[in-house]
Amino acid sequence: MKITSLALVISLLLVFVVGTAFGADASGEARKNTGCGLGTLIFQDKADNSTVLQSLQATTNDILGNQTFGITSGTSECKQPSKFAKNDRLIEFMVANMDNLAKEIAMGRGETLEAFAELLRVPANKRPEFYQKLQANFAQIFTSENVQLAKVVDNVVTVSSY
Amino acid sequence: MYRPYVLSDEKVYGTFRIVYLFFTALAFHTVLCTSAAHAADRNDYLDSLLKASQVKHLSEDHYWNILLHYKPHSSGRRSLVDDPRFFLAAAGKVDPRAEMEATIISFFEQVQEGVEPPRCTFPARYAWLKEQLSVDESKLPAAQCTKFEEALALINPKSAVLVFPAAHGNGPASMFGHTLIRIDGNAQNDLLSYAVNYAAVTTDRNGFIYAYKGIFGYYRGYYSILPYYQKVGEYNEIEHRDIWEYELNLSEEEVRRMVMHIWELKDIYSDYYFFDENCSFDLLFLLEAARPSVHLTDAFWGKAKFWVIPSDTVRLVREQGLVSVVKYRQSQAKRIHAIASRMASTDWNLAQEVVDQKIYPRTITEMDIDPKEKVRILDLTAELLQYQFARKQLGKDEYVHRFLPTLQARSTLGMQDEDTAVTTVPVSPDAGHLPGRFGIGGGYRTDSFFTELSWRPAYHDLLDQGDGYIEGAQINFMDVRGRYYFRDDALVLQRLRFIDIISLSPRDAFFKPVSWKVNTGLDREIMSGGQEQLVYRLNPGGGFAYKTDLLGIVYVFLETDLIASDELHDKYAAGIGASAGCLKNMTDRWKINLSAAWISYELGDVHRSMKASLAQNYMITTNTGITFSLSQEKTFDYNRSEASLMVNLYL
Repeated sequence: MKITSLALVISLLLVFVVGTAFGADASGEARKNTGCGLGTLIFQDKADNSTVLQSLQATTNDILGNQTFGITSGTSECKQPSKFAKNDRLIEFMVANMDNLAKEIAMGRGETLEAFAELLRVPANKRPEFYQKLQANFAQIFTSENVQLAKVVDNVVTVSSY
Repeated sequence: MYRPYVLSDEKVYGTFRIVYLFFTALAFHTVLCTSAAHAADRNDYLDSLLKASQVKHLSEDHYWNILLHYKPHSSGRRSLVDDPRFFLAAAGKVDPRAEMEATIISFFEQVQEGVEPPRCTFPARYAWLKEQLSVDESKLPAAQCTKFEEALALINPKSAVLVFPAAHGNGPASMFGHTLIRIDGNAQNDLLSYAVNYAAVTTDRNGFIYAYKGIFGYYRGYYSILPYYQKVGEYNEIEHRDIWEYELNLSEEEVRRMVMHIWELKDIYSDYYFFDENCSFDLLFLLEAARPSVHLTDAFWGKAKFWVIPSDTVRLVREQGLVSVVKYRQSQAKRIHAIASRMASTDWNLAQEVVDQKIYPRTITEMDIDPKEKVRILDLTAELLQYQFARKQLGKDEYVHRFLPTLQARSTLGMQDEDTAVTTVPVSPDAGHLPGRFGIGGGYRTDSFFTELSWRPAYHDLLDQGDGYIEGAQINFMDVRGRYYFRDDALVLQRLRFIDIISLSPRDAFFKPVSWKVNTGLDREIMSGGQEQLVYRLNPGGGFAYKTDLLGIVYVFLETDLIASDELHDKYAAGIGASAGCLKNMTDRWKINLSAAWISYELGDVHRSMKASLAQNYMITTNTGITFSLSQEKTFDYNRSEASLMVNLYL
């Protein structure tokens, strides 16, 4: 093996391994939401699928320049609930967190549930009762596997009758 | 220098001349006169501002360097931002003074309908210059910064947090972690805050191209602002990384300044370099914009170190007194382990059976067991289902079909006092040993005593004390060792490993990761004649690891080894073999790694090699330690024994 080709192999390998090691920060949008119900998250291939090959795959980031400041809302395609004032932040939050919200309503506690209560402007002193009501009426909130978030919010308003 | 202004002024007068031709003089005479007078006033005022900025040497001011990302470059200064839209002067990237003057001139531009004037796109520059030059806003054309004001109202910045998603053990793409900044406003719940992230934008899927482009700056880095819950979901749940949150003691005014500067970087790119101009380095400018008295970017820029490791930046931010409180947000994998640790291990199977649809979730609620255990079983089931869905081990329909009945069953069990998923908080990443390691020591290798010097610039060895690092994850860069052998009076390069990664990811009832390793570089090996020779080596392997109480992490690898040297027959040898070992923390300070490897070289210079070693490390302080190693090897037909003692300093 000649020294030049040796050097080439070394540098290529170095570039490959080192590059992927430092590449963590390029992971951007990890998931895209397509839908307004449970289990609607589509996950992109990530670099951590626990095999050597996949570990060495790059993480990618498809965000475009004009989408990088995701602070303004109103982009959601999901239907607005009828029993609650139009609130784009609430809708966006639910699109991204439906599964965790369902889980935490069932458990009666959790940070997602707290954020949900805050977005619904439930007063702090009424939240324990609110959580308890949601948990007790889980089946009336998540009525089917295909339940949509607008319906979930309306059901929450109904069962919590607050 | 004044040309842009003069040109636009002529245009204004030209327009007036046409107007003058079309209308009779008298009615418009007064209007024209006052307009012209205003223009002249404005001209004088602009001149006075420009003069004042020169007298005060504002373009050399520290804060101007921060806002424009200027760093010393040959004899002058040069901005690290590469987007031409970031500069108002044509030569703004390399001429801080021209940029300042163009900025001041831009304040006087007539505001066009529907176009945000520079004052609005660069609010931090404007605010700072206004303060420094005591600008009388009434003498400038009126400007409404609607978009910026709306964004500011929405974010409503009050405080800020430096967020550090730690590495996850098995993926080299994240082994060093990442940093972002969270801006907290009115919301009580942290999830509802906004996260500011700096990342390379890429659509390349090929790891090789990606690495090459990343190292040599072919990607563009953009800042983004996203709801924090999106980032938490991404790191905690999809990538299974713990998140550390370092609350910063910035005042509301300081955070506001930071947000103004973030706005200036909206849709602006800088060439992204994995090693230095990366996520962690660029975020430091934001902190400096908030509090210019801290010196963060200078600690990395232009130093002999050409890389910026996220945990180093966290450490620096903490050293500079910016951190008040540290919080920990565990990954979903940790949550799963935390719930399981509270259960009888026999009940793990029950959760697994619900996941696999062998029993109904409702059945759990009807069982004759402790109600708390029912809760744990169903909580664990829900987490496992989410995990499998995230890993695409379950399709959407299958997942929802199992997830919802599980939650329904869980909801009937009511509130429980215990939070099933609470775990102990590990040592934070900034509190671990420093990533560089310098070692001095010596030992004996068959027939001769030697002294040794070693240097590793980054990052963590299996034997290094593990606080603040991922257990079982080793990354060594440029591990170099030199020895002086007394018997032969010979100074030799013992090793130069460009990279040496070992990822031991224990398999358990819930996760079945593959462990792997790869190292490449120069090593000294025994040749067929018995002499030792420097060879180039490439040694990858894959295997399994398990965690046991008695032996710590036990691991086995199947590996290949390629060595190349002029001294080898055919100049190379390639083989296949296996290695195994165990890594155990004997005490908080004492760690051992017992390992053995066997390689059969079937191609090139055909031979066998067997090596066994016992290495121990004792931590004296966080940044000092002693390593004691014993090893025995047989390569070709030659036996070698070695013992060495090294004192290590981490720096």
